[in-house]
Amino acid sequence: MRKLIKTDYLSRVEGEGGVVIEITDGSVSKVHMRIFEAPRFFEAFLKGRPHQDVIDFTARICGICPVAYQMSSVHAIEKIFKVTISPPVRELRRLLYCGEWIESHALHVYLLQGPDFYGLESAWAGREYLEIAKRGLRFKKLGNDILTMLGGRPVHPVSVRTGGFFSVPSRKSLAPLLPELEKAYAESLQAIRWSASLDFGDPIVATEFISLGNTTEYPMNEGRVVSTTGLDASIEDFLGSIQEYQVDYSTALHSGIKREGTVSPYIVGPLSRLNLNHEKLPDGIRSAMNEAGISLPIANVRMAIIARVIEISYAFHEAMRIIRAYDEPDRPYEDFEPSGGVATWATEAPRGILIHRYELDGRGYVKAATIIPPTSQNLAHMEKMIRDFAVTHIGSQADHLRKETEKIIRSYDPCISCSAHTIIIDRRKSSLD
Amino acid sequence: MKRPRIGVFKFTSCDGCQLSILNLEEDLFDLLQFINIAYFREALDKAQLKEYDIGIVEGSISTDRQKKEIVEIRERSRWLMSIGACATAGGLQALRNWSNVADYKRYVYPSPDLVSALPMSTPVSDHVYLDYELWGCPIDKAALAETLLSLLAGKRPGIPAYSLCMDCKMKGIPCILVSRGEPCLGPVTRAGCGVLCPSFSRACYGCFGPREGANIDSLLGRFEELGMDRKETVLLLDKMNTYAYRRVRLEKAD
Repeated sequence: MRKLIKTDYLSRVEGEGGVVIEITDGSVSKVHMRIFEAPRFFEAFLKGRPHQDVIDFTARICGICPVAYQMSSVHAIEKIFKVTISPPVRELRRLLYCGEWIESHALHVYLLQGPDFYGLESAWAGREYLEIAKRGLRFKKLGNDILTMLGGRPVHPVSVRTGGFFSVPSRKSLAPLLPELEKAYAESLQAIRWSASLDFGDPIVATEFISLGNTTEYPMNEGRVVSTTGLDASIEDFLGSIQEYQVDYSTALHSGIKREGTVSPYIVGPLSRLNLNHEKLPDGIRSAMNEAGISLPIANVRMAIIARVIEISYAFHEAMRIIRAYDEPDRPYEDFEPSGGVATWATEAPRGILIHRYELDGRGYVKAATIIPPTSQNLAHMEKMIRDFAVTHIGSQADHLRKETEKIIRSYDPCISCSAHTIIIDRRKSSLD
Repeated sequence: MKRPRIGVFKFTSCDGCQLSILNLEEDLFDLLQFINIAYFREALDKAQLKEYDIGIVEGSISTDRQKKEIVEIRERSRWLMSIGACATAGGLQALRNWSNVADYKRYVYPSPDLVSALPMSTPVSDHVYLDYELWGCPIDKAALAETLLSLLAGKRPGIPAYSLCMDCKMKGIPCILVSRGEPCLGPVTRAGCGVLCPSFSRACYGCFGPREGANIDSLLGRFEELGMDRKETVLLLDKMNTYAYRRVRLEKAD
């Protein structure tokens, strides 16, 4: 006998997707993350565009994490042109990323996932949740304020260019952010305690967490690719070890790591970053974690909200550090001559490693583009975790299983708009080539 | 008073414009005293489509399924408005309108037959009547609040249709086109962003689409005088509002 447990349309996630669990004769026979987000073909229309367009266009893949796309692309382009950015510009890009981590994480923790722990359908559906939602909106606003200060607006900021920024803020103009950040940082330490006190339900356990690492600081714009099972690779080598594949129920390609003839799923994102980089967190945050009884590593993916709250706190702390130490650069950007070549780069988007690879011609125009967003890396892993959960809860009511499945998916903070833009490396020849 | 019901609908897009609703932040909770957000997948669990006083549409129409859905949403909405470059002009993905979608599919997917996409990405107004259009990539959140409150109060929203240059002059920014000789789309582009790019020492790249009566070819001629070749100047227009800029040029040419 065959039974389908379907969620046609996931809510409180970014983008359009659903999930189907198929149960045949009492055992789980299939789990499909169905992504029906309409394809937009970014990699195709990037061909023949100048390098600045790559930065502006890829930002439009995602309205929640545009900075991530700008950062991965600008660094790849600068690698091809052999441009070295100045130290203050490096710090400003980190500050810009702090703004995006805060804004994106606060949205997810307080407006999208938070209501799950209170049995609510939205962040404004219950009086008891109002103060929690308002805290989230305060955090989110401060993240947006950082983005606006550095890039003019929170969604698709305009200031990032090859070699640096079109213009950079003065020391004086950044200073007013400090008192707000100090207040928010103090509040975020309390939020860490709140996140650890939530009821996570029955755990599901992941085995391989992957993030950037091997750096002296918590990773954002650079690093090697490391994992909890001992992987330590350059981004190029990591890209070479990923197998991407198309499935007939999704406009997003799935991916896993090729190993000894099999393809195994893995997880990227805040929980991976935390598990692999927690010793780089400042003391204040580490003691707040200790007081809240958080012990690392965390293997239960349903507890990823804790990692997000910790990273909000870290981003506040890091933003204060950067602003206090900031010295205006002599010039906002370095001069360069466009040149041809190939480069791969990855940065830590709010949802995990975002890989870009470009081939440019001698004038700096795109010949080929590859974009692998974090959510498409996580899709196969989500299916595996839902399967693990369904196998141990096979006797549950369909409604219960459906609700819990949605909650598990939400704990990944999937960005489905992003995921529908991944592409395969060994692509079939088309007339665009 | 019964609060008017608002529905927020997503088609082909990046989510950035509907995020502007949540970016209203603490004002959002004030706004919720006056409106009832009754359908909003990104923030609310509610599966069934009902009737709405105002429907807000993000995203372009680019698949068969969406062509049917937008008609149903129109029928269920007393007023319907588009938000952002995708819904209002077809978006960045409308670049495929000047190419072959079959080639695009083959380029991106190993099994292109499994992917359903129309040959063109088109604005919502090509499919159903719209009561109001809000331009921008992304929209300005204050303009969204102004438009919603105006529709509810039965007055015309105060959103500019004049060129970016007007606002740029009022801010006292030295003209990027005249003083630096850089190709700026300000003269043919709608105001509304707050003059962001010129404030950051950057030429406008057209997030808000063509202003009313834009004389695009004349501006492109000026860019050529500055030393750009024709092909380069057209690339400047072929961005998030490519379909709208090209249509204005075609209409002028008629």
